[in-house]
Amino acid sequence: MDTSAVIETQGVNLWYGDNQALTNVTISFPEKTITSLIGPSGCGKSTLLRCLNRMNDLIPSCRIEGGISYHGTDLYGPAIDPVHLRKQVGMVFQRPNPFPKSIYDNITYGPRMHGIRDRKTLEQIVEESLRKAALWDEVKDRLSASAMGLSGGQQQRLCIARTLAVNPDVILMDEPCSALDPIATAKIESLMEELKSQYTVIIVTHSMQQAARVSDYTGFMYMGELIETGETAKIFENPEKELTNNYITGRFG
Amino acid sequence: MENEHVVNDTPAVSAELFSGRSSYLKERFIRSVWFMTAVFGVLTVFFILAFLVIDGIPIFATVSPVEFLFGTTWNPTGAIPAYGTLPLWIGTVLVTIGAMVIAAPLGIACAIVIAELASPRLKAVFKPATELLAGIPSVVYGFFGLIVLTDFIRVNFDIPTGETWLAGSVLLGIMALPTIISVSEDAISAVPKEYREGSLALGTTRWQTISQVIVPSALSGITAALILGIGRAVGETMAVLMVTGNAAIIPDPIYNVLSPIRTLTGTLGIEMGETAIGSAHYHALFGVALLLLLITLAVNLSATVILGHIHAKQTGSGKGPGRLSALLARYQQNLKIAAVAFILLLVAFFVSPLVALVFALIGAALWYIPSHIQPRHQQNIAFSLLYVAIAVVLAALAIILGYIVINGLPAINWEFLTTAPRALGREGGIFPAIIGTLYLVTGAIAIALPIGVGAAIYLIEYTRENILTKLIRTGVDLLNGTPSIVFGLFGFSFLVLYLNLGISLIAGQITLALMVLPTVIRTTEEALRSVPTSFREGSLALGATQWQTISRVVIPPAIPGIITGAILSIGRAAGETAPIMFTAVVFSSRYLPSSLSDPVMALPYHLYILATNVPGAETNQYGTALVLITMVVGIYLVAIAVRTHYQKSIRW
Ligand SMILES: Nc1ncnc2c1ncn2[C@@H]1O[C@H](COP(=O)(O)OP(=O)(O)O)[C@@H](O)[C@H]1O
Ligand SMILES: [Mg+2]
Repeated sequence: MDTSAVIETQGVNLWYGDNQALTNVTISFPEKTITSLIGPSGCGKSTLLRCLNRMNDLIPSCRIEGGISYHGTDLYGPAIDPVHLRKQVGMVFQRPNPFPKSIYDNITYGPRMHGIRDRKTLEQIVEESLRKAALWDEVKDRLSASAMGLSGGQQQRLCIARTLAVNPDVILMDEPCSALDPIATAKIESLMEELKSQYTVIIVTHSMQQAARVSDYTGFMYMGELIETGETAKIFENPEKELTNNYITGRFG
Repeated sequence: MENEHVVNDTPAVSAELFSGRSSYLKERFIRSVWFMTAVFGVLTVFFILAFLVIDGIPIFATVSPVEFLFGTTWNPTGAIPAYGTLPLWIGTVLVTIGAMVIAAPLGIACAIVIAELASPRLKAVFKPATELLAGIPSVVYGFFGLIVLTDFIRVNFDIPTGETWLAGSVLLGIMALPTIISVSEDAISAVPKEYREGSLALGTTRWQTISQVIVPSALSGITAALILGIGRAVGETMAVLMVTGNAAIIPDPIYNVLSPIRTLTGTLGIEMGETAIGSAHYHALFGVALLLLLITLAVNLSATVILGHIHAKQTGSGKGPGRLSALLARYQQNLKIAAVAFILLLVAFFVSPLVALVFALIGAALWYIPSHIQPRHQQNIAFSLLYVAIAVVLAALAIILGYIVINGLPAINWEFLTTAPRALGREGGIFPAIIGTLYLVTGAIAIALPIGVGAAIYLIEYTRENILTKLIRTGVDLLNGTPSIVFGLFGFSFLVLYLNLGISLIAGQITLALMVLPTVIRTTEEALRSVPTSFREGSLALGATQWQTISRVVIPPAIPGIITGAILSIGRAAGETAPIMFTAVVFSSRYLPSSLSDPVMALPYHLYILATNVPGAETNQYGTALVLITMVVGIYLVAIAVRTHYQKSIRW
């Protein structure tokens, strides 16, 4: 296996009640790269993603089997506290979900929860994260305004900034652009390019163009199985599997 | 410190991941605190049942259960005491039937108007107005009934006294309306818009859509509303007690609505204060309370089951239409005919065949005519009737409020509000009663709010649905349906006697707290549920702990809902008489309570005694009623205002 992998899964099976949503998924996510997961809707992309920061723990009917490791530590083992894990493995959701608080409070929420109280430090974190999320110039004059008043695209970048503010190691993004218009989408895509230098990014997308544009590696999923994974260029130009070929050429999905 | 961790350094990473143990313990601790508050509700129900049973069982040493249930004489203080509760529970059943005959059509009609017909502006008037009906304390209803309604009945029917079954039913009917209206309205509003559009798109009138599609779809919700209304009527004490005459007889003939009557609750309200502790009479009264509790439990459980089915259907977790409703639908026509025939037979048998014939003819006409008028005219007639119904309800509200305000205003002056009563309350003021009520309410909410909010947090935020949560929820439902007089008896038996608190402020506060606990839990649950899951996910995904998430992200937007619930509880506690009658109050006290173990005066009880036991206190009766109603209605208006304000400003 790839030695620089941040997260690796080994034969993961997952059920919601009696419904198997993931079947024998083995994939690794190399450090400081962008990996995208593509596939028709309902194939288990979000489910796989939510395994990686244990958000699935919150779903009562969910049962998981197989190994997932984070820097070599068993993610579901007794050594890992899901709360601390989620600080390292951040997540951006499909629909922007800022808290009904001010922009400033949204960003400082995470750091504060992790014990940072110093105002100077917090202000610094706010500016830094907003800059990284390419939102600083748009909101620097109204940090105390409610986040609910931002546009959808701005809200999503705020959610990215909020995630960056806790200084994670991995960022999971679940169709972060699906609720956004093309201009906002473009902004977030160029942002991802920047993020790659510091973070390991895993993005779920239903847009093949997006996957092709932004990611280094791509995994194609179908009905709960990981059909094929590899360098993005290879998946899109010369896939090994017939199914992958059909999907990327638009024959289904 | 944030920037210290090194991505590639595996041991460091695990060390940091591992370091969450102390916060883990804290989380566990917080969780168990909320768990204990949640269990409190179940325990209370259990305790209430246990104490009623313990104090009620000894009566069966004196009479057999069969005699207790079916004996036709209730005369515990006679030379030869008799403990037959038949006239009492028959009385409860009859008064309730009468109340539902009035409240069911009016309530459903009002719900249809509010949910389907009224413009938003009218709705903004109708809805709070019908909710205000729930805000009028029952002792004020009783007072109004005693002064106005019974007199009206006496004069119009030319009978010696107006204190009758009819008076009780009218009053209870009005009191059951708010419950019926709000639950039915919820059910009607929950009918998917597609049904409405689908029907209208076929060229039907609005009335056809309402009567053929919407109301049938909401039928089980409306049924639950009616059952809850019945529960409300069965459990009411003060109002019935003040207007039904309280003769423990079975009306003769059985449909004689002008006969006096006595209910289970009335019996408790009247006799509990006058019996020797530990006597057969005392135990008999606990037997009565037990019977009452079992009836209301059965009534409320069936409503809960029905509402649960609806919820399951709406969330798609149900198993399709229930077998019962499928059967009902299949034999609807036959069932209707059978029911009509049965009623006609009853009437023919008990009243006279002639009356039955007249009924049958009117019925046939009503059956025949609608299908022969144009749909448009049908609609006009139907809508007019519906608006008449809501006008009747609003008129009742206006008359009650107006009457008390007009007669009460002259009594209000500075002296009345700031001095103690003199001459048994005929003169002087009501200051100690105002203060007593404030003390009672403050204490009650101080106890109920933390426990209730904690329980709701546990139920919504911490648990997956399982047997335990079901048990807790059922406990809360049962507590919610427990008649207030039963809380009073429990408070007396457990707090006053068993814990030896005596008739005291603290005993009253705890009793009231138990009574409002379900309201606090439910409104808080609803408020928490309305906070989107995405907020929780967003926070957890940032590595916040569960308690951090709840306290920083979930609770703040839920605060208005929680406050509304608290205010409603305060209003309810301020107006109740039955729970404090045997636990906390005295009629006359020159002094304010100096500690929690002193008894207090309270406005509702003061009004009750003035109205029933003190001749010649007219002015001060109205004055007390007005102050009480102003306080309670004022509190409710604040709650309604808070709710509307935040409903408008919520933006997610
Ligand atoms: N919370 C859940 N409970 C039960 N089933 C779920 C839940 N979330 C997703 N599923 C099921 O798991 C499968 C995969 O869903 P998901 O991972 O959301 O797919 P994708 O993100 O690729 O569209 C679907 O069949 C979906 O119905
Ligand atoms: Mg998805």
